[in-house]
Amino acid sequence: MHIKQFIAAGLALVILVNCTNQEPRTGATAQTDDHFAATAVLSDDSALHIPELEARMNKIRQSLAQPLPVLLLEQTDSNQAKAQRLVCADTRFKANLFDATGQPCRNEIFSIYAARPQEIPKGHQTASVYRVELYNYALNLTTIALADVTTGEVLGVNTYPQTQPDIPEFLKALALKIAVNAPDVIAALGYRPDEKDALMANTKTSLNRTRCERSMHLCVAPTFVKGDKALWAIVDLTDHRLVGIRWTHVGTTGPAPRISERNLRFEKIMTCNCKQQQSIDKDGWKMNYVLTSSDGLRISEVYYQGKPVINNAKLVDWHVSYSNTDGFGYSDAIGCPEFSQAAVVAVTQPQVSTLVVDGKTAGFVLEQTFKSEQWPRPCNYNYIQRYEFYTDGRFRIAAASLGRGCGNDGTYRPVTRICFAGTQNNFSEWNTNGWQPWTTEQWRLQDAQTRYTPEGYQYRIADAAGSGYYMTPGNGRFGDGGRGDNAYVYLTKLHPDKDEGETDLVTIGPCCNTDYHQGPEKFIEPNAENVQHSGLVIWYVAQLKNDDAKGREYCWAESYLENGVYKTRSFPCLSGPMFIPVSR
Amino acid sequence: MKKNIAYCLVAGLLLSCGSKMTDEEIASIGIKTCQAQPAYVRTAGLNPSRSALSTSEKKIMGLVLVEIPANPADMANRKTWQHPSWKAFGWMGPITTDDKGNAYTAPVPLINLLNNPTDKQNIVYKVSGNTGEMQVLADLPREAPVMPDNPYGILGLYYDCHAGKLYASSVAGSARDKERGVIYMLDPETGKIEDKLEGVDALGLCTGGVTGTKKLYYGSSRSPDIYAVELDKSGRFTGSPQKAYSLDMLGPRGDDKARRIRFDRNGDMLVSGVEFNFNLTAPTEKQETSYRFRYDEETKSWRNIMQ
Repeated sequence: MHIKQFIAAGLALVILVNCTNQEPRTGATAQTDDHFAATAVLSDDSALHIPELEARMNKIRQSLAQPLPVLLLEQTDSNQAKAQRLVCADTRFKANLFDATGQPCRNEIFSIYAARPQEIPKGHQTASVYRVELYNYALNLTTIALADVTTGEVLGVNTYPQTQPDIPEFLKALALKIAVNAPDVIAALGYRPDEKDALMANTKTSLNRTRCERSMHLCVAPTFVKGDKALWAIVDLTDHRLVGIRWTHVGTTGPAPRISERNLRFEKIMTCNCKQQQSIDKDGWKMNYVLTSSDGLRISEVYYQGKPVINNAKLVDWHVSYSNTDGFGYSDAIGCPEFSQAAVVAVTQPQVSTLVVDGKTAGFVLEQTFKSEQWPRPCNYNYIQRYEFYTDGRFRIAAASLGRGCGNDGTYRPVTRICFAGTQNNFSEWNTNGWQPWTTEQWRLQDAQTRYTPEGYQYRIADAAGSGYYMTPGNGRFGDGGRGDNAYVYLTKLHPDKDEGETDLVTIGPCCNTDYHQGPEKFIEPNAENVQHSGLVIWYVAQLKNDDAKGREYCWAESYLENGVYKTRSFPCLSGPMFIPVSR
Repeated sequence: MKKNIAYCLVAGLLLSCGSKMTDEEIASIGIKTCQAQPAYVRTAGLNPSRSALSTSEKKIMGLVLVEIPANPADMANRKTWQHPSWKAFGWMGPITTDDKGNAYTAPVPLINLLNNPTDKQNIVYKVSGNTGEMQVLADLPREAPVMPDNPYGILGLYYDCHAGKLYASSVAGSARDKERGVIYMLDPETGKIEDKLEGVDALGLCTGGVTGTKKLYYGSSRSPDIYAVELDKSGRFTGSPQKAYSLDMLGPRGDDKARRIRFDRNGDMLVSGVEFNFNLTAPTEKQETSYRFRYDEETKSWRNIMQ
């Protein structure tokens, strides 16, 4: 290789940041901050099985079964032990050990120490006042008590919501155990570190302070220095798991930026999925996908067995209205987590997984989650876009709400835009007289009078040769818990010279229209155009009524305590049409 | 060019580059307030002594005058008043008032852009203290074309009682990889731009003199850092921004941005911190944390005194 070619190849490596989660171990490429953001790993569902965690969980379970559900400090001297006993008998100190339903939260005493002079109330001896710090993991709440071990008094108790005390040594050790055993850390370092390795001269370990700003969990960041780089491993001590890892340069030009849950997550998504388009070539399907500013996860250039199927598809808006309050609701855009018009942002990378039907592999799924920070608390939202691609050529463009929203009287209306490939398409609707072509732009509501073919098809989109797809709207028969979409379907003409939603759309409609005025009608009225032998766009607006009735929950989510910390149970309402190839 | 330098030297000798300020005068900057009650409040049917302008009332778009109830338990049913022009320009954000009872505000989108088109996000509106009428004061220039990535324009407004000038921070045209924001100093009468500080994406603004120098303090909209830039007596920028303090690792989130900065009577800096990531997320429960910093004369630095 000539020297110039080598340099060019090196530059290309720098510019096209690698989003494969693997840090190159050799080579002399200049590693930019973008590169480190791209090679970061989000460990969303990692669960470690190590003896230390099993022992920890056993202790937690035992604690939760006690009348006083508190993990007590074990290594104490006699004064500390007395201070612990004193405060644990105090009703003020015990006020937040249980949640509102009476379930025990995970509570742990982090430290007990002789109070500093400025903390000691007047009239008490310096040496006899101890400060006890209690952390409630479920409520992210710190309780601090002062106890006089000489007089046996509890001098004061204060609570600090959304506050975390300094992390004790035994939890730091646990965090280190989680980090050194995490497969992502081992893969990034290129070897499995342990505590002994961590203390060797060529690999220094320190525990950096960090935050899990989104989950509001207790987090810390063991950091491994290797050469001129440092690997941050964010460990969640509430869920006992690795949140993610990211390399930084070891500071030569000032302190390195602090790595936290939010910036780790947002940087990775922005670098790999908002600034870069990704591709899939799988099960006969080929496509590109990218996260947009306000139209969710957009797929484009979709081919099946070499034949173009869809130019692009995306989710433009979520309209959410509440029937008990006239005109109350939200029109939410979904999209990139930063520098976007999204009201509900992507918090994970797009996930590709196997599509299993009746226990057999049937294709693959491309799925994206968008979530409000405080979900499932009231007035916070969680949306999913789900693209299903079957090996037999079928595909489904679906969307789900996982609640919880601002009430149990909500209706969700996701506005999906699907631009089909081809410029000579025709669109037909099934009725009692068979397939009836639509000659002009129009819309239709799926309701009780809607007619379907015996196979369940309502529409057909096909080219002049008859090649195309049938469309079955969500009708409660897809086996996914969906209850029917009651969908508005709009057909508009694709204009090569006029942008009617090909690029990112700003909010297309208000929250609370309950009729066909959901936005796409703007491209139909007042002069509906001829759509025969044209490039065509289908807009699909499902209408999903939420439900919080026990056993019938739909578009809903609720929190519950598990092992003393909050988990979420969700009840998605999946909507969206299935497209089935027209067999000629 | 030479002529300009000569003129400056002469002017400098005569005026000492914008007139000197006394120590007492500097120390009062940001602490001594000048805000006057607008005349229209007396005809609004609300108790003037308990009324305040707001842009964050749920379900009320634009600017609104709110009467704070004498009994806090009545907050849910508090009285409000709006001049018809106050809801004509979409959802609004920052508010500042001057010594004549005039108020200044600017649009900030809430959840979506339905009522706040991106090409109208860089306008400062002035509310007449006499009539209550809201009108355009200045349509600020855009440093780059409006991008779909950044739905924001003006994020901060502050009226400096000392110089009688209005500061407006705009992030219009800023992108994730390019900080293009500008802090403008405006004539509050005409809206004319008299000076500007470029390359700065700022949120909260406030002038202060507690360190012995007149400075404009601003919260970065990109990081938890608070910066200060020196000003002359007339309010013009004379230095380059220096980091004054940071909200990093403070508060429940640890990465708040300084939405509002003010000084109390003792010279403590009061900061309201919020989450801000250049998107349109808007939690119903407002996540805002108050911070307090005090200037340490010995170390010449600010320290957090909320712990």
